[in-house]
Amino acid sequence: MHSNKGTSLIDEIEETLIAIILGAMTLITFANVVVRQMDGNILWALESTVFLFGWLVLLGASYAVKKGAHLGVDAVINLFPAKGRRALALISITICIVFSFLMLKGAWDYWANFANLPGTNGRWFPLGFEDSFRGKGWYETNDIPHPAFLGWMEGFFNEGVAYEKLPRLVPYMVLPLSMALLLFRYIQVGVSVWRGDIDRIVASHEVEDEIAEVRERLGEHG
Amino acid sequence: MEVSILFIMVVGLMLIGVPIAVSLGMSSVLFLLWFSDSSMASVAQTLFSAFEGHSTLLAIPFFILASTFMSTGGVALRIIRFSIACVGHMRGGLAIAGVFSCMIFAALSGSSPATVVAIGSIVIGAMVKAGYTKEFAAGVICNAGTLGILIPPSIVMVVYAAAVDVSVGRMFLAGVIPGLMAGFMLMIAIYVMARIKNMPKGEWAGWREVGASFHEAGWGLSLIAVIMLGIYGVPGLYPAIFTPTEAAAVASVYAFLIANFVYRDMGPLAVEGEGENKSLLKKPHTLVTAFFHRDTRDALFEAGKLTVTLMFIISMALILKHVLTDEQVPQNVAKAILAAGFGPIMFLVAVNVILLIGGQFMEPSGLLMIVAPLVFPIAMELGIDPIHLGIIMVVNMEIGMITPPVGLNLFVTSGVAGMPMMSVVRAALPFLAVLFVFLIIVTYVPIISTFLPDLMMGPEIITN
Amino acid sequence: AAASCEEGEIVIKFAHVTAAVNHPKGIAASLLESRVNEEMNGVACMEVYPNSTLYDDNKVLEAMLQGDVQLAAPSLSKFEKFTKQYRIFDLPFMFKSVAAVDEFQFSDAGQAMKDSMQNRGLQGLQFWHNGMKQLSANKPLILPTDAEGLKFRVQSSDVLVAQMDAIGASPQKMAFAEVYGALQQGVVDGQENTWTNIFGKKFFEVQDGITETNHGILDYMVVASVDWLDSLDADVRDQLLTILEEVTITRNAEATMLNEEAKASVIAAGSEVRELTVEQRAIWVEAMKPVWEQFSGDVGQENIDAAQAINAGL
Ligand code: NA
Ligand code: NA
Repeated sequence: MHSNKGTSLIDEIEETLIAIILGAMTLITFANVVVRQMDGNILWALESTVFLFGWLVLLGASYAVKKGAHLGVDAVINLFPAKGRRALALISITICIVFSFLMLKGAWDYWANFANLPGTNGRWFPLGFEDSFRGKGWYETNDIPHPAFLGWMEGFFNEGVAYEKLPRLVPYMVLPLSMALLLFRYIQVGVSVWRGDIDRIVASHEVEDEIAEVRERLGEHG
Repeated sequence: MEVSILFIMVVGLMLIGVPIAVSLGMSSVLFLLWFSDSSMASVAQTLFSAFEGHSTLLAIPFFILASTFMSTGGVALRIIRFSIACVGHMRGGLAIAGVFSCMIFAALSGSSPATVVAIGSIVIGAMVKAGYTKEFAAGVICNAGTLGILIPPSIVMVVYAAAVDVSVGRMFLAGVIPGLMAGFMLMIAIYVMARIKNMPKGEWAGWREVGASFHEAGWGLSLIAVIMLGIYGVPGLYPAIFTPTEAAAVASVYAFLIANFVYRDMGPLAVEGEGENKSLLKKPHTLVTAFFHRDTRDALFEAGKLTVTLMFIISMALILKHVLTDEQVPQNVAKAILAAGFGPIMFLVAVNVILLIGGQFMEPSGLLMIVAPLVFPIAMELGIDPIHLGIIMVVNMEIGMITPPVGLNLFVTSGVAGMPMMSVVRAALPFLAVLFVFLIIVTYVPIISTFLPDLMMGPEIITN
Repeated sequence: AAASCEEGEIVIKFAHVTAAVNHPKGIAASLLESRVNEEMNGVACMEVYPNSTLYDDNKVLEAMLQGDVQLAAPSLSKFEKFTKQYRIFDLPFMFKSVAAVDEFQFSDAGQAMKDSMQNRGLQGLQFWHNGMKQLSANKPLILPTDAEGLKFRVQSSDVLVAQMDAIGASPQKMAFAEVYGALQQGVVDGQENTWTNIFGKKFFEVQDGITETNHGILDYMVVASVDWLDSLDADVRDQLLTILEEVTITRNAEATMLNEEAKASVIAAGSEVRELTVEQRAIWVEAMKPVWEQFSGDVGQENIDAAQAINAGL
């Protein structure tokens, strides 16, 4: 129903990005083991790997939406006729859109102050921006040194005071970014459901692609 | 009361086809908006903390990656050849070899569906050719594949350890004896069925074939040694060199090297089709180019994508857990259960029932992330060993995987074998009975789980 | 509102990371909870979340600035992000004893530090003691040279990293949940902590004895957000802060005893505790003291002088 293999340029970019992040996580962790064996240390290894982990999953989540790869239960929807399935899919996608919208508000509110930007007013629906707030641009991560190429950030976010460590606004930036992408992808899927191109928004298990491959292989040989 | 609304909402959303992750996340957000004063920003903060605050979960992407390199690198095929050489000559030998292969692959991989795909895609077809029924073949692999999460390494164990803050290394050790035991119980059941129904047996190919196939599979099998020796060292002789999380990363790098430069079934030295793969000696520059090869990028991407879908669910389950804690639900549930006078036995029965029911709807890691923090404090009050509790939960997850309506292994087997879900369910049934007996044994004989970790690491101490 | 609070009560969530029993911070938090809920019933309602169940130390101050938690008591190194003055508490051999720490905290310099983060939205309320830190490894540590080349797990703090570098040891970062296993299996060789933590987390079981170095202090500070404190009625705030002060005095007096008990328990469990002679201790001080200079600019020489004057007077 979904499994359209990556073909477009955007697909290629997103897939390569996922591969690069996971590769970097693996190599940093591996390097830390090797260096420790030589009585050295990479003090920033753990924290940076954990941040990359967050980036991988949060950015990957919108890619998985596009590919219909998020796991779900389709046993019940399979019992319905086409019309009923379409109705359920429309309800489901509406819930997904509302959810990603709420998460985008939460993500913005969380991140904004770290970047000396105003969060939004309103408990769940953004009713404009805060008039006054305490900026947290000075708030640094624990172990990752501030790289020289990000030196310009000190003027922007820290009143010109030098950062010893990478400011938290950098790793946390992925939150609003990924939630905005998630909302965008869910709206796209919503359009597909409305048009009748697809009748569900979930994959029933995690290895759908692999099975498709196996089927293909068996089909070829037998 | 409020809590039952929350859980009904989660299940209801899932059943109408909302993705599991969104069902958990949306229910948590609505619960928070209605009943709590906490901000939406706190939800986003918790989402990021799923990674930042739970660094042991890093083992998940790394073990998935190691398993991906192993599967594309032709390790499964070599493991199966070795298994057939060992036990293929017995009555029902190919089926027993299938179970044996699943056990070995389970020791390389942290996931059950991955085990089914790797082994099942080869063994089921071979069994049908050898004269077994397709149903029998599917039933065997479907069940044996569940060992993927019981025999270490195991993603589900990593999740449990992260959820209740116990040592991953200890959980892994605890899975060894139960994993072997479950595997042997399945083999015995198959052997008995094979004798009764007079199923096919293979030829004994001789010790030479056992040796040759072991040699072939050796590089893949040595990964098990890399993981275990790296985490636990050689007691008294040599210290360990990495944590369980790091072990997973080391395993990935090792599997990458084996797949690219020893088996050469992927990467720059691989040759499509029948031709002999190229030699590293002739192309030493591939040591560098392999890192940028299309096959490497594809394996990283496949593992990354699987990580995304699993971890997105786990991170949403952590949001649900945070919202529940914020409303002091686990504390109140614990008080209520203890006040009701549950003893350890009744409590464990209740845990089994909750997990078996939950397992009908939910992906195992997400379910565990929610249930474990709820039952853990009670179990501690009742004096149940946290590692033993973990193994009980893992075995429940195994059973959940082969029971309808939601059973990951059922889906995967039906896909791999090309047969309808309901036939797989029927085919799995006799072996499901074996796993049930196994669950009862594991639940009431704690030493099966605790013997090895206590021996190697001393008794578990609860400091909370 | 939280589940067990009544309608109309001010909800005070207090999140911390240690056990609720057998730990100085956990016990103090529980005492504060019961006193507030008794004496301020109908007005305020406190709920304590121990064991990092709600927030860990890394996230709790973020959550406080965001208004999602009202009280917290992170270890003092967490405040180094807010102002580098707090690095004074991580400097090795800066304070002779918990009594010296106490006197410094009650001095003008110490009191001023409580207010030093107001511009960043935090108000320090009270210092809570744990105790002096000890060193341990998988071999006996008598002189700094014994630690040379060993791997020590340290918390995220530039001062603690520099301290380990100064004695030629290799500082390592590691998730706290992994530390026991890593010490046991030999992934890292040693660690530094107070007696209560060494006993509570059973580190002594997987180390070759503990060396009583008393080389550093592990203390906490109870904080609230400036905005939340401002939002309280003056009489409510005064009552809360009075109770907090009384709890602080009671518990700080007993924190040292709790550490002594933990030390006795470590010995009773069969672990060796090594005391240093005056000469041996002087060698440790000499080895680690260069770290002071490295951070004197952050800490302020006047604060270092004040601390040393207190040491001399005790
Ligand atoms: Na496994
Ligand atoms: Na199930």
